[in-house]
Amino acid sequence: MDKLSALLVLALALFALGFVGVIIRRNVLVMLMCMELMLNAANLALVTLARQTDTTAGAVLVFLAFVVAAAEIAIAIPLVLLLVRRRRTLDAGAYAELKG
Amino acid sequence: MALALTAIVLLPLFGFLVNGLAGNRLGHRFVSVVGCSLPIATFALAILLFAELSVRGGAPQVATLYTWAAIAGSGFDVALYLDPLSAVMTLVVTGVGSLIHVYSIGYMKEDKSYARYFAYLNLFLFLMLLLVLARSLLVLFVGWEGVGLASYLLIGFWFDDPDKARAGKKAFVTNRIGDAGFLLGMFALYFAVGTLDMDRINAAFAAGPPPAVPASLIGILLFIGATGKSAQIPLHVWLPDAMAGPTPVSALIHAATMVTAGVYLVARMSGVYMHAETASQVITVVGAATAFFAATVAIAQHDIKRVLAYSTISQLGFMFVALGVGAYGVAIFHVMTHAFFKACLFLGAGSVIHALGGEQDVRKMGGLARRIPVTFVTFAVATAAIAGIPPLAGFFSKDEILWYAFASDHGGSVLLWAVGAATALLTAFYMFRLLWLTFLGRSRMTPEVEHHVHESATSMTGVLVVLAVASAAGGFVAVPHYLEPLLPLPPVAEHLQQFEAPLLWLSVVIAFAGLALAAWFFGGDARRAERFGARIAALSRVLANKYYVDEFYERVLGRPLTWISDAVFLRLSDRVLLDGSLDGMVRLARRTAAAFCVVQSGNLHRYLFLVLAGSAMLLTWSLGRG
Amino acid sequence: MIEATLQYADTALLVLFGVFALAGAVAMLVLRHPMRVAMALIGTMISLGGIYGLLGVHFIAAFQVLIYVSAVMVFIVYVIMLLDVRDLSFTHRFTRLVVPAAAAGLLFFVVLGHAVWRDTGGVQPATALFGIGQFAVDFLSRYWLQFEVTSVLLVAAVVAAIVVVRLDDKDHG
Repeated sequence: MDKLSALLVLALALFALGFVGVIIRRNVLVMLMCMELMLNAANLALVTLARQTDTTAGAVLVFLAFVVAAAEIAIAIPLVLLLVRRRRTLDAGAYAELKG
Repeated sequence: MALALTAIVLLPLFGFLVNGLAGNRLGHRFVSVVGCSLPIATFALAILLFAELSVRGGAPQVATLYTWAAIAGSGFDVALYLDPLSAVMTLVVTGVGSLIHVYSIGYMKEDKSYARYFAYLNLFLFLMLLLVLARSLLVLFVGWEGVGLASYLLIGFWFDDPDKARAGKKAFVTNRIGDAGFLLGMFALYFAVGTLDMDRINAAFAAGPPPAVPASLIGILLFIGATGKSAQIPLHVWLPDAMAGPTPVSALIHAATMVTAGVYLVARMSGVYMHAETASQVITVVGAATAFFAATVAIAQHDIKRVLAYSTISQLGFMFVALGVGAYGVAIFHVMTHAFFKACLFLGAGSVIHALGGEQDVRKMGGLARRIPVTFVTFAVATAAIAGIPPLAGFFSKDEILWYAFASDHGGSVLLWAVGAATALLTAFYMFRLLWLTFLGRSRMTPEVEHHVHESATSMTGVLVVLAVASAAGGFVAVPHYLEPLLPLPPVAEHLQQFEAPLLWLSVVIAFAGLALAAWFFGGDARRAERFGARIAALSRVLANKYYVDEFYERVLGRPLTWISDAVFLRLSDRVLLDGSLDGMVRLARRTAAAFCVVQSGNLHRYLFLVLAGSAMLLTWSLGRG
Repeated sequence: MIEATLQYADTALLVLFGVFALAGAVAMLVLRHPMRVAMALIGTMISLGGIYGLLGVHFIAAFQVLIYVSAVMVFIVYVIMLLDVRDLSFTHRFTRLVVPAAAAGLLFFVVLGHAVWRDTGGVQPATALFGIGQFAVDFLSRYWLQFEVTSVLLVAAVVAAIVVVRLDDKDHG
């Protein structure tokens, strides 16, 4: 088992754990953090693949992903604040207005 | 002169537009002036052009107005075409048409839709002239359909009455059946000859080698159209019902002009029919059958206009016999004389109806001769003319038809002559019967009606007199001779020439025999006819019910069509298949939506779980295959 | 000898960081208090930063620490401190989907992991070190469009953040 494949599997594991975390945790902030974890896993996979193929494209993507993550959190946090002010709870299960 | 030719057609259209758009605001006087002066102007123009045509020795004049659908060298010229044939027809149409317009001023005076009436009448005249003067079959077809439309509008002129509106619909639908044949004929012609200009088609058939389509096929298809418009068996049923319209309309459209369009069409296409033996035989048989059949029905009718309607059908049958045996000019001759005396008869009947305040049943008339003398005299002259009493117009044209039915090389026979002669006898009989029942004998009117009887206005009686004179003298116009360069008369075998004079005398005898028979039945004691009718009750019932043709159509065509429409198209196709499939799809969509609605819980966690589970399964499936 | 020792230490460090990262991720799923979850995430991120460093992409490692750990996570920690977190999601931290989600996640991991395992045998790890110079040239010459588009995204995010804050004001103003 070579080093880079192992890192890919690690990225996969982190991604799966993050995804499962988003699903099973009720707290909105924890869900957000799990999403950050998924993003980190993706970054790891990108870096690993960039090393594997010896190109800069993956690194560039990671760099851009940082920016996206910053933008994401800049919007997500005010949204969470807004939600909590309305309903006074961080429980995502309480927000079911999307019901069809 | 092309301008004058165009003006002939367009002037009535102008009248239609003025009266139709603004007539209600312009007052009776203005409407009358516009409505009548324009037809009279067209008549004057027609005379002018006719004279000019004679000077040129009959060389046709063409006015191309527009080229429709011009594609790579081929196109349809919208062109007017004046040759001796169309000139004669134009004179008849504009002449009789003008007279009837003038007559209508008095007849329709009290109608609340006065302007609409004149607008329709002018529209009819425009389309009829378009039909007559068309060079191309396509333009003729536009006029053909257009006069059908005008006829529909005028039959249903008093559309408040559902019966009259229904009569209009019946006329329209029946004509459409014929038009289908006409259209197919045009397609076949265009396919075979590559043009629809009628002079070119005739030339193509005359020049031979024969075009790719049998002439008889085209002939029969066009004749189907003619049976619709000219009320021949089996499409004759609409004409008696068309009497629901105002009487001047019956005179103009349903007796003198429009119904002869079929005759005109066949004469116009004589170049084809001369080479179409089968089609000519069909025309002869249908024409003879129609003539005889309609004449028998006319005997047993009591409505004055219905008698005249069946008489019209019968006379049209005569014209088709002439066409069938190749005597095209004679047919046009009879069209002209028939236009005179039938218009006179209808307008006279209108005068009678006017005098009696709307009564049309001859059983409630009688003894009117002294009360409305001008109407009586003109009616009597026209009756004598149609019955074939010499030297009135009908005698000449009918005798010529009978002669060619007997002697023509083109399908004439003794049997055909016998049928024609029997029909002529019947014609004389039922026409004099009508004259007797209406004007002579004792009065059978209710006192109330009798009190109101009055002679019509001068504008109406004047027209009657003009038409009566035309009916009397019209026979001396040698139309067949005039048209002979264009429509040659069929050759007559040498050994038959000797019969011409005896047959002429026989015709005279037949006409007087009809007169005598009617006088014997209705002259002395009116009950003699009733007793005789009772003795042949079954036959007279059949005749009075017009051989039950309407009932037959209703049972054979009407009811099955209604059943198919209702059961197959409405209940099965529309309700079950179309509505059902749509309803089914709606139900399916609703149920699917209801099923998927459960998924749309609004719970974020569940959505995300579905995403994860779904993508995991997809990956399993796709990677599991590789 | 020293080379081999360094190689060995390198691998050992990589394994160590990997285990740390995994442990942090697992801890995120089970810890009750959001603050502890945040701490676990920071641990994971720093471990990932270490992995990046060991892979030779030092500047990404630096940004990982700078942007994620300092900027993003500080923001989140601040919010956690701001809000009262002791509500229903604190007493009942899991949804009812624990078992299905775990099963699905496991399936996801096994399938993709199997594919990675099967397909990436032959590729040799690159030996050349990853230079910031090469990266900078590529970034500003080949990928300038993506860079600009990202700046547009950032502007949009700023505008969105302002709009959200304004909404907040309106609701309570």
